[in-house]
Amino acid sequence: MVTSAALYHLMWMINITIDIRNVCVFLAPFFSSLTTIVTYLLTKELKDSAAGLVAAAMIAIVPGYISRSVAGSYDNEGIAIFCMLLTYYMWIKAVKTGKIFWSALAALAYFYMVSSWGGYVFLINLIPMHVFTLMVTGRFGARVYVAYCTLYCLGTILAMQISFVGFQPVQSSEHMLALGVFGLCQLHCFVDYLRGHLSASDFQVLFKATIVATGTILAVITGILTITGKVSPWTGRFYSLLDPSYAKNHIPIIASVSEHQPTSWSSFYFDLQLLVFLFPAGLYFCFRQLTDANIFLILYGVTSIYFAGVMVRLMLVLAPVMCILGGIAMSGMLNRYMKDVDASPVILGMPAGNLAQGKQGDKRSKHKQESNFVMKSEIATLFVAIMCFFLISYTMHCTWVTSEAYSSPSIVLSARSHDNSRIIFDDFREAYYWLRMNTPEDARVMSWWDYGYQITAMANRTILVDNNTWNNTHISRVGQAMASSEDKAYAIMRELDVNYVLVIFGGLTGYSSDDINKFLWMVRIGGSTDRGAHIKEWDYYTPQGEFRVDKEGSPTLLNCLMYKMCYYRFGQVYTEGGRPPGYDRVRGAEIGNKDFELDVLEEAYTSEHWLVRIYKVKDLPNRGL
Amino acid sequence: MSHTRLLFLSFVIVVAGSARADLVNKNVETVVDISSQLAKISNKVTVENVGKTTLKSLIFGVPAHLKERTSFVTAKVGEHLLRVTETKLSGQDGGFWKVDLRSDLAAGRTLQLNIDLVLSRALVPHPGQITQKEKQLVLFEGNVYFFSPYLTEKQSLTVNLGTNSVESYARIQPVSQSDNKLNYGPYEKVQPFQEERLNIHYENNSPFLTITRLERLIEVSHWGNIAVEETVDIEHQGATLKGSFSRYEYQRESQSGISSVKSFRTALPASAVDVYYRDDIGNISTSHMRVLSDSVELELRPRFPLFGGWKTHYTLGYNVPSYEYLFNQGDVFVLKMRLMDHVFDDMYIEHLITKIILPEGCHSIELSAPYAVERLKDTLHHTYLDTKGRPVISVSKRQLVENHIDDFELRYKFAKVLMIQEPLLVITAFFALFVLVIIYVRLDFSISEEEEHSRVDREHKDK
Repeated sequence: MVTSAALYHLMWMINITIDIRNVCVFLAPFFSSLTTIVTYLLTKELKDSAAGLVAAAMIAIVPGYISRSVAGSYDNEGIAIFCMLLTYYMWIKAVKTGKIFWSALAALAYFYMVSSWGGYVFLINLIPMHVFTLMVTGRFGARVYVAYCTLYCLGTILAMQISFVGFQPVQSSEHMLALGVFGLCQLHCFVDYLRGHLSASDFQVLFKATIVATGTILAVITGILTITGKVSPWTGRFYSLLDPSYAKNHIPIIASVSEHQPTSWSSFYFDLQLLVFLFPAGLYFCFRQLTDANIFLILYGVTSIYFAGVMVRLMLVLAPVMCILGGIAMSGMLNRYMKDVDASPVILGMPAGNLAQGKQGDKRSKHKQESNFVMKSEIATLFVAIMCFFLISYTMHCTWVTSEAYSSPSIVLSARSHDNSRIIFDDFREAYYWLRMNTPEDARVMSWWDYGYQITAMANRTILVDNNTWNNTHISRVGQAMASSEDKAYAIMRELDVNYVLVIFGGLTGYSSDDINKFLWMVRIGGSTDRGAHIKEWDYYTPQGEFRVDKEGSPTLLNCLMYKMCYYRFGQVYTEGGRPPGYDRVRGAEIGNKDFELDVLEEAYTSEHWLVRIYKVKDLPNRGL
Repeated sequence: MSHTRLLFLSFVIVVAGSARADLVNKNVETVVDISSQLAKISNKVTVENVGKTTLKSLIFGVPAHLKERTSFVTAKVGEHLLRVTETKLSGQDGGFWKVDLRSDLAAGRTLQLNIDLVLSRALVPHPGQITQKEKQLVLFEGNVYFFSPYLTEKQSLTVNLGTNSVESYARIQPVSQSDNKLNYGPYEKVQPFQEERLNIHYENNSPFLTITRLERLIEVSHWGNIAVEETVDIEHQGATLKGSFSRYEYQRESQSGISSVKSFRTALPASAVDVYYRDDIGNISTSHMRVLSDSVELELRPRFPLFGGWKTHYTLGYNVPSYEYLFNQGDVFVLKMRLMDHVFDDMYIEHLITKIILPEGCHSIELSAPYAVERLKDTLHHTYLDTKGRPVISVSKRQLVENHIDDFELRYKFAKVLMIQEPLLVITAFFALFVLVIIYVRLDFSISEEEEHSRVDREHKDK
C-alpha cells in the first residue's frame, strides 16, 4: 500500500497524472518484472549467469507466481516475493563477502518484506536455519558471523517498528529460532576463541559444562516465560504448518479456506510443470558442488516444498526456488551436452562468462569421453532436442494455465450458452454497486467473511467480518446467525446491529462456490465457540449423514436463516426445462422448503442472475401491533 | 374592483416600461404535454396592438407556483427565435419574461407568436411511495389560462396525457376527455393575471430520471483530438419503492416495476470514437453501441434497474476529432462545442458543470455561452509533460432540459510554436539521462583503489 502510494506521489510530482487505480493494477506486474531481475542475480550468485538467465526466464512465466502477479492482482504477496528474493540475494552476497554493507542491505530488504507480508516468518526462520546448518557442517566463520549478527540485529529492530509486528520478534515462538541461533552464534564464536587459548582436554571439559549449563538455563527461562505468558504460545497457523491435520481437527476457520488446504499432486504439476522434475536434478547439482550459498538453496528448496505441500497458498514461496533450481539443473545439463553437439572445438550456445572455464573443462573431458562413447554428437543432439521440447512444452503449458486459470477476474463470471456465445454474469458488481448507491452510508452489512473485502472496497459499506478478521468469536457469531432459525438469528442480528444481510446463491446459474456449499463451514465455525454450542453439525445432516437441501434434508437446515435467504421465492422459479420449479442447479435437487415468507427480513435487492441476494433487516415492530 | 385593478395594472406596466395595456391576446391555443417527466407547454398566441403607439416588446409569464419550475423559455415568430429576457413586474410574484420583437408592431396590427415553456419537477408523484407492482400516479398542477398581463379574448387548452387512465382532473367547464387528451375551453375574456389551478391526477410511467449532477469535461489537444468525459449522477425521482424488491416478480411479470428504468439511450456525436462506460468499480458490461448516420447511439443499462429513489453514477467518455469543433486563424483559435449534450430523451439536469481544459500556453480566453451561465474560477490542470499547467475554464448552471443543448464559443490565443515544447521536453530528458549514464560508465568514481588491486591480482593469478 505504501509502495503504491509512494509511486503514485512520485508520478504526480513529475506531472504524470496517472490514476491511483492504475498504479495499483500495474504494481504487481511491475514488481514481478523486478522479481525476474532479482532471480537472475540470485541464481548468478548461487551458480553462474547461465543458470541465472534460465531461472529468470522460467520465473517470468511460472504459473505459480503468475497467479499473484497478473495485472490487477493487487496483493501483498506480489511484492513480498520480490522482497524475499531480494533479501536472499543480499544475504547470499553478505555470506559470500562477509561485508556489513551487504547484510545491512539485507536487513533493509527484510524490513520491506516484513512490512508487506506476514510470510516473513518463513524468511526469518530460513536464514537462521542456514546459519545453523553452516555451524553443524563446520562452515561457520567470521563472514557468516558478521552477516548474521548484522542482519539479525538490524532486521529485528526495523521489524519491530512495524506496528503489526510489535514485540513479536522477541516474544513469539515463531521467531525463537532466529533468536536462538543468534545466541548460538555468540557461543560458537566464544568457544572458537577459547579453543585458541586452551589445551584440548581443558577445552573438552569446559565445552561440555558450557553446553549443559546453557541448555538448562535456556530451558528454564523458556519454561518460565511461556508459563508467565511473555512468550506467546504457538499459534494455530504455525501448528497447521507443522502438522497438516491439526487445523482440520481443531480450528475450522483455518480449514475452511481453500487456500489453506493441503496441495494435491495435480496442482503441483499444474503450477510448476517441468520444474517438478527439474527440482531433484537441481538439488543434485547443488549437492555435487557444495558451497555456503548452495546449502542455503537446498534448505530453501526442501523447506518450501514441504510448506507448499501443507498449504496451497505457499506454492507462491516454492515457485521461485523451483525456478532457481530448475534453472541450475537445466543450464547444467545443457552445458554438459551442448559442447558435444558440435564436434568442432568452437563452443556455441555457451554464455560468454563461461567460455574460459568451459574450454578448459572441455579439453579434459574430451580426452576421457572420446574413447568411451560412440555417436557422442548424435546423442548430445538428441538430448538437447529433448530438452528444447520440454522447455517449449513448459512455455506452452504456462501460457495455457495463465490464460485459462489466472487471467479471468474472479468477480465477473462468464459461461457459454448453448449457441456458444459468451454470457457474462456481472452480478457481484451489480449488487455491490447497488449497495453503494442505494443504502445509507452508515449501513452495516452482514455477510460471510469471504466477501468482506469486496463489500468494503466495491460497496463502500461497513461489514461485520472480513478476510482479515482475527476475532474468531465474531466470525463465529455471524456463522451462528446464518445457521439459526429466523427469530434466533434476528436476536443475533439486533445484537450485532446489522442493517443488511448479503448472501451468495448459485442455484439459478449453477455457480458452485456459493453460500449453501460453504454453509457447513459456517455451522462448524459457528459451533466452535461457547455461545454457539447449541449449533451442532449433525443437526444439519439427514439421518443417513447426507447434506441435502431437498425434502429429505434435515428440518434444522430447511428452516435456518441461510436456507431461507437463499431460497426465498426460489420455489416458483423454473430453472431448467423438464424439472420442477425450484430446482437447484448446483445441488441438483428440488428444494424442500418452498413456500415460506420472511418475517424479520425483506428482500432489498437480488441481482439479475440471483447470484447475490441482499436482505434488509426490518426494524422492531411497533408495540401493540 | 376592476377599476382599481386596471389602474394598478397600468401602473405596473408603466413601471415595467416596455409593455402597454393596449396589447390584447386575440387568440391563444395552448397545448400542454405531460406524457413525459417534463411538462411542455406551447402557446400559439395572436396578439393585437389595440393602442396607438408602435410596440417593440411584449411580456408573458407563469404564476408564482410554477416560477421556480420553469426551466426553459423560448419565443418564436415563424421560425425566427426572439430574444427573451427575464423581467419583473412589481406587485406580481409570478415569473415574467420580456420578448423583443424583431420588427415593431404598429398600432392595429396583429402578430402570431409561439411561446414555449418547459417545466421541470411540475409532475409530483402522488402517492409518493408505491410498491413494486403498483403503477405510478402523478399530479400536475398547472394553470388553465395563459398567464399574461394582457386581456385574453379567447383561449383553448389541450392537455396531452399519453395515457387514458386519469384519476381526476380539474373540471373547469367546458371540458371534455377524448382518448388520451383533455380539451379545455374555449374560454372568453380571460382577465390579465387570471389563475385557475389545472389539477390533473393521472398515470405516468415514463422514466422520472433526474440527473442530479452532470460534470462534462472537454479536453482539447492541438494534435487533433478532443476528449470528452461526462460524469453523471442519476436519481429516479418518481414515486419511491415501498417494501421489498422482488427479482422474481420483476423477471416474470412485465407489469411489475413498470415505472422503473432498465436502460436509456444516449446520443453522441457521429464522430465519437473510443467510447467507454464505467463507474467507480470498473467497466459496466451492459451497454450496446450503434453507429447511426448522424450520431452514435448508446444503449446504456445501469448495473441495476432504477426504481423510485434509487441512484446510480457513471462515467461516459469518448474522443472526437478536433477539426469538427476547433477552428483557427493564425494564432487565434475558436472552440465551438455543445455546452451540454444529450443523455436521454426528456432529460432534466439539476446541476451542470462544464470544464474545458485547453492546451498549455493558451491565453486571452473569452467565452460566449448560448444562455446565461455562472462562470467559475479558472484553475490550472497538471498532467503529462506539463510545466506550468493547463488553463481550465469552468461554468456551472442549474435546471436544464434537452432544449438547452446548444453550442458555446471559446476564443483563445495560442502560439503554435509551443506545440513542440512537449516533444522537446522528452528528448531533453532522455538526452540528459543518457549523458549521465555515459559519464557514469566512463569515469571511475570509487574512492579507494581496492577494485583495481583485486583486478590486478586476478590477472596475476591467471598468468
